[in-house]
Amino acid sequence: MKEVEPVTSGSTPVVELRNLHKSFGDLEVLKGISFIAREGEVISLIGSSGSGKSTLLRCINMLEVPNQGDVLIDGEAIVLKGDAHHRQIGDEGQIRRIRSELGMVFQSFNLWAHMTVLENVMEAPLIVQKRNRAEVEAEARAMLDKVGIGSKADAYPSQLSGGQQQRAAIARALCINPRVMLFDEPTSALDPELEQEVLRVIKLLADEGRTMILVTHDMDFARSVSDRVIFLHQGLIEEEGTPDEVFGATRSGRLKQFLNAANHG
Amino acid sequence: MFDDIAFWVSYLTNGKHLTWYASFQFTIIAALLGGALAVIFGLTGATLKNSRFWPLRMIGTVYSAIVRGVPDVLFFLFFPLAFEQGVEWFVASQVCTPEMIAAQSAPWPPCKEANWFLGTPEYLILASVSLGLVYGAFATNVIHGAMRSVPAGQLEAARAYGMSESQVLWRVHIRQMWVYALPGLSNVWMLIIKATSLLSLLQIADIVLWADRLGAPNFLPTVGLVHDDWRWRYYLVLFVFYILVTWLSERAFDAITRRVGRGILSEAHG
Repeated sequence: MKEVEPVTSGSTPVVELRNLHKSFGDLEVLKGISFIAREGEVISLIGSSGSGKSTLLRCINMLEVPNQGDVLIDGEAIVLKGDAHHRQIGDEGQIRRIRSELGMVFQSFNLWAHMTVLENVMEAPLIVQKRNRAEVEAEARAMLDKVGIGSKADAYPSQLSGGQQQRAAIARALCINPRVMLFDEPTSALDPELEQEVLRVIKLLADEGRTMILVTHDMDFARSVSDRVIFLHQGLIEEEGTPDEVFGATRSGRLKQFLNAANHG
Repeated sequence: MFDDIAFWVSYLTNGKHLTWYASFQFTIIAALLGGALAVIFGLTGATLKNSRFWPLRMIGTVYSAIVRGVPDVLFFLFFPLAFEQGVEWFVASQVCTPEMIAAQSAPWPPCKEANWFLGTPEYLILASVSLGLVYGAFATNVIHGAMRSVPAGQLEAARAYGMSESQVLWRVHIRQMWVYALPGLSNVWMLIIKATSLLSLLQIADIVLWADRLGAPNFLPTVGLVHDDWRWRYYLVLFVFYILVTWLSERAFDAITRRVGRGILSEAHG
């Protein structure tokens, strides 16, 4: 689909987060987070549960609206209005356009149950992007083949195993030709024997040079797939770097503790 | 034997019987129109109850709470009369001159020109709207509950892929809501069918009224007593009709449930 591009610090920022804060009631989940994801980069967000990594991911496409700070996609700031707890999306047209280029994969798949797998994959390209049906169907079938469930195109999600459903959800994300893929713990709801088939697909996409941000519990996978790993602790970035730096030459005591727990968990 | 058959054929095809047969259309029209309106009012009520703005939320809640509690017979009498007089009051305020009012001897309407004569078609529409309003309040509750049963993650996914709120509502939320609403709506539909037997309250010569008239002891000066009290036979025909409608409705609801439940209900039939 896309040419493999070398990751250089000079390439375009696809996602840029500036000083994000997010609270739920009195609980401050994000306490000021900034980072940049560049074209072709694969970034893993790790951290214990409650560290804010899922919330952070969901702020990128405004499923959660940050109380403070900005999100920029391809250099374009998402328009927000109001302050703090009253902050909300400021431009419906803009957010729909931006969301239509962000491919989100959820922990619980969230395929639309009343549509077949093929209809799920074709829905956003047809309804949101308003592309040509024949072209979309051809691409959707190609994406389903790519994730290895081409024969399940006419099945309903409920007729598929968890691993197949998640691969269908990945095909749905791919079919919108996303600028960036967002994975929210894509294997956490799967039985261990089904995890591998999903991880293989994600690895394949990473190797194609797609820009991806993924939240994961799987340290081995984060290590093998990422260009950069970000460790979140209590709403702040505690440590970040290449997988070798983060896993091989861990500086933060908290990260050491977390990695030990993860290895023995 | 032949005489018997000839009697029954001519008896059952006499003018009054033909009118009776034709009056089944009022019952069917009232049920279908009332049912359709109940679903529309139910969707509207449920949307109001889900609204972000509290005055709209209040309207939806008050509607479903109050109207459900009012006996349907009472509402059936109240609504068409109130509507008719409301229209007459409005027309009177526009057209009546002091001279017209002075010329009017009856207490209502204020002047003859404002009188609104309602025939069977008008009463049928008012009856259907009454049914729609009363049972729409039940449908509001059913649909409101069903909307909350749709998995939130699927709505979130629809938003995450850039769908507008109305696309999320119609393409995912309402589309999936039917599966959860249909069992409740089928109950509401049965109640509507039962309530169609009240049409004669609105001066509609419906199947119940005709069964009553035709079944009463029938005496013709030229022939003598044709039959004595046969009402129970006519009521029996109505029983059979309502049972038939019930059976057809169940079949229809089963078919609709299978259709909208594809992929959502258990996949025993593939």
